[in-house]
Amino acid sequence: MLSRGISGRTPRRLLFLYEILALSLLFVYQIDKLDKYILATGMGLILLVYISNYLLLKISKGDNYIFLIATMLMSVGIIMIYRISPVAGIRQLMWLSLGIFLFYLTYFITKHFKSLDRLLYLYIGGAYFLFLITFLFGERTYGAINWIKVAGFSFQPAEMTKLILIFILATYYSRYDKYKEVKYSSYILTIIVFSFIGLLFLQRDLGMAVIFFGIFIILQFIFEEDRRLIYINLGLILVGGLIAYRLFSHVRIRVDIWIDPWRFIDDKGYQITQSLFAIAEGGFFGKGLGLGHPQFIPLAYNDFIFAAICEELGIFTGIGIIMLFLLLVYRGFKIGISQVNRFYKILALGISSLFGIQSFIILGGVLKVIPLTGITLPFVAYGGTSIISSFMALGILQTASEDMEWRMDHE
Amino acid sequence: MFNIVSLLFKYIFIIIIYMFIFSIIRLIYLDIKGMDFVSSGDYAYLKLINRKDSLPFKINEHYSIDEELTLGRRVDNDIVIKDPYVSKYHFKIVQDEDNYFIEDLDSANGTFLNGERLEDAVMLKNGDIIRIGNIEFLFVNKGM
Repeated sequence: MLSRGISGRTPRRLLFLYEILALSLLFVYQIDKLDKYILATGMGLILLVYISNYLLLKISKGDNYIFLIATMLMSVGIIMIYRISPVAGIRQLMWLSLGIFLFYLTYFITKHFKSLDRLLYLYIGGAYFLFLITFLFGERTYGAINWIKVAGFSFQPAEMTKLILIFILATYYSRYDKYKEVKYSSYILTIIVFSFIGLLFLQRDLGMAVIFFGIFIILQFIFEEDRRLIYINLGLILVGGLIAYRLFSHVRIRVDIWIDPWRFIDDKGYQITQSLFAIAEGGFFGKGLGLGHPQFIPLAYNDFIFAAICEELGIFTGIGIIMLFLLLVYRGFKIGISQVNRFYKILALGISSLFGIQSFIILGGVLKVIPLTGITLPFVAYGGTSIISSFMALGILQTASEDMEWRMDHE
Repeated sequence: MFNIVSLLFKYIFIIIIYMFIFSIIRLIYLDIKGMDFVSSGDYAYLKLINRKDSLPFKINEHYSIDEELTLGRRVDNDIVIKDPYVSKYHFKIVQDEDNYFIEDLDSANGTFLNGERLEDAVMLKNGDIIRIGNIEFLFVNKGM
């Protein structure tokens, strides 16, 4: 009976129901601070999500699950953010609206702009330019220079660079036969990507460096014909990692904290131990929204949002989030496999690995499975540039899910 | 008061999230079940443009064309569509060396190629859209 009742509309309605319930609960929680403005933004969120999901169904002939999954993740996230800090919640809503707008914009640009796979030099130049402005105008926060402040808004260029990296790789490998004629072209590409990773390392943005390397090695593993290069890269990163561990104290300390956070509990290990306490405190079903103590977790709505969610909504919600990411990545790979246009195929595979690696790194970090590096959980965590780049990536994936085959030019 | 509501709601939230995941998995499962993988190589095929779950009858996403393909309501067609709008024998596509020709088989409601009603046999090009009623197919020829 249950399976018969599921139509294409079911998930959208469930999402709607979830948001209505969560918002009404939050309004009860904040009852003394409630005003018309907050009420309107809350309603705005629900309408925004519902309408954009409905609209996408009409506009795009492609996949209609990825955007649903992303908006579900986003709804769980923003409710938690609003509960921790209403100010941040309202700002997040603004970012989300911009993100959804950019999702549609990216979708239309990648769909109708046909020479995207010919701009290799522009992409490489753009990536270096973003690194340059980071070094010139960047500010150091939490030990990493990765923020630029423009007119009161913080901007993280590396979030855009990771999309550019996927474009560089997609351009290169979709026209592999042409570029292969240049001697050692794959080695040159490798050097360029490693220079990105090196620059990120200098910015001390270790999480992002791992994402870059992960995307690069996955795409190279799939498409590179010179198999020896892959082993060379793996060897290089192993040696590089060991050297970094020996030479740089900020790398070493992360590993030490990961192995035994309790030794550093009053100082550097504080974040991770608080996160573990919070997750343990929540149990299976959580404390209930508004009844936990996420204020004890540092950066509760940023890097550690997963711990805050686990505390108040339970480890079952946490597992649910992980399952949603699994579905998203699975969907992405399926899109990549069934796409015939090589450029969009590589874009889809790159973006799915991006979501997979990024969520693995931060979830693993928060759960103390791997050393913690500060990156955001896509779609869930608070953060302007991160939300925007995630939605842009999703827009590209949406384009890639459509049939682009007949558009191929047979040169 | 708030505490009781919140305690109750946390269970509801978890139930909703899991129902959401379940319904998406179920839809993806249906999607995969209806997918028949087309082999690679030089071939031509019709691809359904409509969203499959919007059509109230059984239909596949892909139909590969070799030599001849017919569409109609009768079960001896290559593509059988149980829609009253579709004639018993509606149209056929015939291969002639590297080219494919589409011909309407005097159907009651007609076959439309890129919006124009078919009168004679017409050669198909990559990206052509074939419409019967509200069903739309995309013609793809990889051998071209």
